[in-house]
Amino acid sequence: MNCLEFRRATLADPRRLEAEAASHAEHCAGCKEFLVQSLETESRLAGALRVAVPEGLRARLLDRTAAARRPRWLALAASLLAAIAIAFALGWPRNDAMALAGIDFVMYEEAQAIADAKPTDLATLYRVAREMGASLPEQLGEMRYTGTCPFAGATAHHVLVKTPLGKVTLLLIPERSFPARAFASAHGLEAAIVPVRAGAIAIIGDSGRSIGRVETLLKST
Amino acid sequence: MPCKETATAGVLWSVLAGSKKTAFESAVGGCLDDLYRYAYWLCRDRWQAEDLAQETILRAWRSWPGLREHKAVKGWLFTILYREFARSASRRRPQTVSDEELLMEPQDHVDPGLALDLDRALRGLGEDSRHAILLQVLGGFTCAEIAVVLGSSQGAVMTRLTRARQALRRTLEPGEAEKGAKGI
Repeated sequence: MNCLEFRRATLADPRRLEAEAASHAEHCAGCKEFLVQSLETESRLAGALRVAVPEGLRARLLDRTAAARRPRWLALAASLLAAIAIAFALGWPRNDAMALAGIDFVMYEEAQAIADAKPTDLATLYRVAREMGASLPEQLGEMRYTGTCPFAGATAHHVLVKTPLGKVTLLLIPERSFPARAFASAHGLEAAIVPVRAGAIAIIGDSGRSIGRVETLLKST
Repeated sequence: MPCKETATAGVLWSVLAGSKKTAFESAVGGCLDDLYRYAYWLCRDRWQAEDLAQETILRAWRSWPGLREHKAVKGWLFTILYREFARSASRRRPQTVSDEELLMEPQDHVDPGLALDLDRALRGLGEDSRHAILLQVLGGFTCAEIAVVLGSSQGAVMTRLTRARQALRRTLEPGEAEKGAKGI
């Protein structure tokens, strides 16, 4: 190795000189001096580059990865749950005010309404239903009571039916049109407001199944 | 100070126990200071440097399961930081501090005057030479390792390091540089 090669090697990496370079420095005073100077400069350079590290750096750098440490399946599950929650919030059928009023009627007013009202005959009820565009077939069940009562600012034809799936209350409201089917659930009861050709019918029962059955029969021809 | 075997056993135990987090922290923990310093001399601002180091650690964490050679973690981290810096620099140039200004906190440097001279000298180097010298002095990497990080040849790295040291010697020790580097 000559002096030129030695100095090139020293400038490329003064701390990792090969044995051949070290041997050259042993025998060449000029290169030895160059190496000493290079190592001093290197030391000075390293000292100047070693800036103080901010306090708590290690903790901050590693702590901030905590969120990223969650397994992907966990993140996926969390996203899925969030999506379901949003879907529920946006899409879950919310209680309709009029359907809720139907439930409240059954809970708090029905008994009094039956006691106060004068029962109407079945012929009148069938005529009203026909005019509204609904039918009251026999399969519906045993009609235990028919009468009229005030409901939601209108006069409703109140019908109490004993169906195979339990007691169902019908409120036929000829004076009220309703844009779309509405639903409510409260106090262990469920209610649907079903729009018909001329008016709406509130169906209140113990279960969605019994309501669905009645709704189907009301719409049958 | 724990012996090397104990530390290795600790890392192994962490892996065997399924503690990925502990294994990761054990592996990268010793590199964080130098990683930050490398980022500091690239960004020339302590806050941006910390952000860059943070991004590097996050990327490293995400890629950790795929890293086959955990012994080479230091080179891997510096490579990530180098690429991340290059990516952010190409995305938005103003992220680096203007040439006239090093956002230096005096308490960060033992010799603030020397730091300013060094900063000026580093800025005078080409980008590849600056990376090469920082990787070697701060990271302790060999020319071959730097070549891998920079995606360059070992010979090109040696040339860059030679030029960088000549330039730095001229700045830091003007008299010695004239004398020693003659004829190279």
